[in-house]
Amino acid sequence: MLSIEGKTIVLAAEEEHSETESATVEHEPTGLDLILPALPELIGGALAFLVVFAVLKKKAFPKIKEGIEARENAIRSDLESAESKHREAEQVLQAYQAQVADARTEANRIIEEARVQAEQVRKDIVAKAERDAQAITSRAEESISAERGRALQELQGTIAGISVELASKVVGRTLDPASQKDLVDNYIKELSTMNTNGGSAS
Amino acid sequence: MATEEVVEGYAQALYSITKAEGETERVEREAFQLRGLLEKNHELGQALGDPSISTERREELLAGVLGDKVSPQTKKLVGLVVEQGRGRQLASILARLSDLVAESKGSVVAEVRSAIPLDTERQQALAAALTKVTGKKVEVKVIVDESVLGGLVTKIGDTIIDGTVRRRLELLKEQVR
Repeated sequence: MLSIEGKTIVLAAEEEHSETESATVEHEPTGLDLILPALPELIGGALAFLVVFAVLKKKAFPKIKEGIEARENAIRSDLESAESKHREAEQVLQAYQAQVADARTEANRIIEEARVQAEQVRKDIVAKAERDAQAITSRAEESISAERGRALQELQGTIAGISVELASKVVGRTLDPASQKDLVDNYIKELSTMNTNGGSAS
Repeated sequence: MATEEVVEGYAQALYSITKAEGETERVEREAFQLRGLLEKNHELGQALGDPSISTERREELLAGVLGDKVSPQTKKLVGLVVEQGRGRQLASILARLSDLVAESKGSVVAEVRSAIPLDTERQQALAAALTKVTGKKVEVKVIVDESVLGGLVTKIGDTIIDGTVRRRLELLKEQVR
């Protein structure tokens, strides 16, 4: 471009120059001739290009190709490595997520177990308390009942004892010799009518 | 030696002696009286069987109690038992002696307790009734015991025929309970 611009500038200069010198020069190149270089120049340039191209092809291109391939390989390998790392990371992530899920499940299970156990313990405690209360109540009732029975029995015994003691005193005092003799005679009479050995005559 | 064997042994010995001396009846009668005395006076029985009281003291005590109420033979025999330290079993030995004497005569002893003394007529009637009941000749021994209150209780061997007011009151007491 620069060269074209340079050319243009040159051309412009040349144009100016031509304008100024149009009167003096008759045959000036026009059209394509203005763009195309002169043939020898073209051949020289082409030869030079070919030489440069051949040299480049021989020396530089393989290296450039090698470099590009190496780079390509490096990039591919990097990509693959990245891919593999990504996969690994995903696996790790999955494993981690699975662990987290397991841990959560385990935690839930433990919590549930603990809840069930706590519920059981609560039920047991309540049941035991109820049983204890029942036992205490029934023991107390039994004790009261036994105590009442004993008291009643004692009272009856005391009453019986007092009554009989009184009766004994009354009887002892009221049994005059005649009654005493009657009792003896009755005993002998009852004994006479007895058929068997032993027993208690009344 | 078991108490029963001691009692039996002493009773047999006393019986043999009295029989040899021909004083069986009297000794037995006096022994029975002594039994009544021992029964009424528990402390006497206790004292006679108390090993902490010296033998001399016990013999003195016995002599004081018996005085002249019993024959020298009886006194001597009872003294022998006490001297041997068998005062505690004295009542049982004397009871067994009565049984042995009765057995020798082919009869059994009926120990009768009464609140009042029984006259001969009633004793004979009672003996006849008991003979009828037991089928054996019965010798009635009366012990006056006011604690029976009224009526009689007869003991022949292990058999007791209780017709006392005390027994009736006891039955009543059991019923009231």
